[in-house]
Amino acid sequence: MEAVLKNLSSTVELLAVAAHSSAVKQWDRHTVSRAFGWARYCEHVFSRFHSNSAIRRVMEQQLQLTNQSLQDVIPGYSKVCFPDLPRLQHLLLLGLLNNPELPISIMKMLFGTRNPVDNTQGQYQDVTGLCSHIIQCKSACKVLSPVTDLSAAGAEVQGAMLVERLGALLSQGSDTRPAEHFLGCVLQGCEGAGQHFCLVIAAALLTTKNSAAQTAPQEFLLDWLQNKHSVLQGLCSALPATLLIDLAKEHNKFRDAYCDVLKKWASDMEYSISEGEWVQTSTIPTVSFQKLTAHFMALFEACPSLRVNTEKELNALKISDGDFDVRGLSVWGDLLSALNE
Amino acid sequence: MSELQPLSQPQQTAEPLLNVQEMQFWLDKAVAWGQADSPDTQKDTCLHLNRLRDFLQQLLTHINNVSSTAETMKKLPLLGQFLGRLCWNPYVTVGDTSRRLLLQCLWGLYSEHPSNAVERKANQWIRKVLCQLATEEDDDVAQALTKRMGVPAQEYHLKVLAKMVALQQETIRKSCCSLSGINQRCSCDSILATSEACVHLIACPEASPLVGALLQRPVTCVKEALSENFLDALGSSCSSQGLSLDEQASVSLWYRCLPSLEEAVLSLLESVTNTASTPQKLQLQVAQSLLPKACAQHSSMFLVVNDIFRSILKQAEGNESIKSLIQTFTRCFLRELALLQPQTSVPLKAFFPQSPPSLLVPLSTVPSEMPQESWRNHLNWLSGSLQRLTEEEEEGDGRSTRRHCAVFEAWFLLVRCAHWVQVAVQLLVTSQPEDCGPLLWLLTFYHHPTNRWHHRAVQLVRAREAWEHLHSLSSARPRPRERLQALVTLLSSQPQPPSLAPSLTLSLLVHFAVFCQLPLSASAEDLQTVVHHSGLLDEAACVLSSLELRLSEGSCLSNDRVHLRIKELQNTITHMH
Repeated sequence: MEAVLKNLSSTVELLAVAAHSSAVKQWDRHTVSRAFGWARYCEHVFSRFHSNSAIRRVMEQQLQLTNQSLQDVIPGYSKVCFPDLPRLQHLLLLGLLNNPELPISIMKMLFGTRNPVDNTQGQYQDVTGLCSHIIQCKSACKVLSPVTDLSAAGAEVQGAMLVERLGALLSQGSDTRPAEHFLGCVLQGCEGAGQHFCLVIAAALLTTKNSAAQTAPQEFLLDWLQNKHSVLQGLCSALPATLLIDLAKEHNKFRDAYCDVLKKWASDMEYSISEGEWVQTSTIPTVSFQKLTAHFMALFEACPSLRVNTEKELNALKISDGDFDVRGLSVWGDLLSALNE
Repeated sequence: MSELQPLSQPQQTAEPLLNVQEMQFWLDKAVAWGQADSPDTQKDTCLHLNRLRDFLQQLLTHINNVSSTAETMKKLPLLGQFLGRLCWNPYVTVGDTSRRLLLQCLWGLYSEHPSNAVERKANQWIRKVLCQLATEEDDDVAQALTKRMGVPAQEYHLKVLAKMVALQQETIRKSCCSLSGINQRCSCDSILATSEACVHLIACPEASPLVGALLQRPVTCVKEALSENFLDALGSSCSSQGLSLDEQASVSLWYRCLPSLEEAVLSLLESVTNTASTPQKLQLQVAQSLLPKACAQHSSMFLVVNDIFRSILKQAEGNESIKSLIQTFTRCFLRELALLQPQTSVPLKAFFPQSPPSLLVPLSTVPSEMPQESWRNHLNWLSGSLQRLTEEEEEGDGRSTRRHCAVFEAWFLLVRCAHWVQVAVQLLVTSQPEDCGPLLWLLTFYHHPTNRWHHRAVQLVRAREAWEHLHSLSSARPRPRERLQALVTLLSSQPQPPSLAPSLTLSLLVHFAVFCQLPLSASAEDLQTVVHHSGLLDEAACVLSSLELRLSEGSCLSNDRVHLRIKELQNTITHMH
């Protein structure tokens, strides 16, 4: 373990040199390949030990020490924390490209033509054309974006990543706090992009389940949603109807939660005499009575078993409102007649 | 020294000066492309990309010829702006060539030892642009999320690209079956747009599943759904840049794009005629070209390939390597067709519309599918039918082009199905003078299809002579050695026509050596003598190998004795080199 910690520490120092030191002037392609090799090593160490909390703690301490000493000597040094480890190669690349002392020959190599054969000759993988490949990939996505929805594809990929990450966090033990903290951070990261966050969550819930490793995070995500009323309501009002139905078909928990949200929306409605229509009062994303009815209809169509119970429930609510068959007196009565039109 | 100066002056002005107006034109284009991402800009970019590449190449030469960046900037003040804009145009940066040229132009502007402020600034700018290009993210949310989830940017972009490709593949797959109802909206427009976008992605390995999916989309609509640009670009990448598609995608490309099919046939022709090859290698080359398989799947492709063969054969009727290519091709094709047979019910006639119908099945039947006892009758019948066809043509006094065509088509079919000619030669070894007539006629017709100057009768006499020499060598005791000299004479070029094709005599000679009842040593000696004196070593070796190939495949009379003799005779010949 000691050797691993030492390597970790050295690699972080190496990253600092790559980003901040004029020593990179002396680097050649082999130095760069070796540096990427070490970064890859740390990525591997992360994937091997991240779920082991004892080792993780030791590593975090080691990183802290290293960061401290680097901060003391390098002004503007940005520290490397444990969660950064899986993207160390990327951080190395960022550091190198931003270092004005990086020899132009190295730049040329990174932006050069990729070798057609994946040559793993020697000890280190060739990094020739690394940037060229990144540029090509990004450009290809943009070229395809007029025919395929880039943000939808992005949301799907992010959803799958989310499930994977949650799975890793949940596999560490019975403590769900790290997973909750993580979701909270993701939610924060999506601030101002609520719609996108909803798409990511939906994609995460619709990722095909091929193992228990995916069931656990999805169940966790559903429970988390049920406890976060505002998020759930936002989700129900922001997502397209087809996606909501897909989710309801896939997860009974979601189906029930969705139905509850709809009932909540209904209960928040008041009859506006001037408009002659039921309108939302408290909920922020306003849903019209017609839209609410449409939500119910689509849900019932997709899950017929739900219809009987819900109508019973709505009927009971109507009775508690006095059981009048006059429009504008009970939202439940009006909803029932709209649903049975 | 002072004398040299006037000389260097004109040299400097002769240096190709880049047209400033052209620079302005391309800058305007780059600005326009950057301002809107509409289908029109996309189309315009697509349209100009080849010329843009040429211009970038020109620019690169120019940059490398000028001594310093400061000087370049003085001459082309818009250069930086132009290159900078291109860096953010995905259509330019996605293509290997255009991206390489663009980056090389930037390197060209980088000064290893900057000597003034302009050059220092240019260096900084180049580093900044490149860094942004490789690491900047357009999507802040995605960036925040990937960071939070510990996913490296490169991996993320690869995943998104793979997802987009998969989503689009799914759309294409669905579009095929969703066209069941007549009222449904035709999805060809969206397929067309996808294929337009894929023009730029042909060389991008990550997008190849999409290219494959587009190609393999069945033609369900009256209008071709794939863009011509896409098919052209694909065809030229396959032929010039060594792009290799998977099997089914190649077949689909040929099916949809005639020039690419022609290109494939011509490159096969070129590769087999340029290199001296054994029949075994030829068969491998032909099978690996995938063309026989493709032709078995689509009769229309077979017709195109056959038209090419037909016209080449007309120009080179005596070219043995062309003939053996056509034979090998047909053999592979018939095998592929047989493999498809349970599923497809396309009649053989659809593949050979011009061939005489009565001859089609008898000739295309492989000898191994018929009992050996029936071979002689079958060949006699074939010979008789062909003879009748030629007589009808001659009775028509050569005026009827239709009849002339019929003879050519019959011969063309015989060339393609030359397995029967080989069987005829084999049977001639064991024939007697009274029953060798039809077989000799067939052999002569195969080698001399046109009765030019009415020489067929003489050629028939010569063929019989050759046969008689070999027959008496293999049966008379004591063996008449003078016959060997006569054979050498027949094989050497005779000054006055009509001469007999050496390939005819040679094939008789080799078959006699293999199948006759003489002891191997005697046969080997005869073969050696004749081949040595006539200088037809390689040709004889080739006949032996193709005989070996046919026997090993069709299990026709393939006993150990024959195989042993072939091997020994091959050794004899190769040791003569």
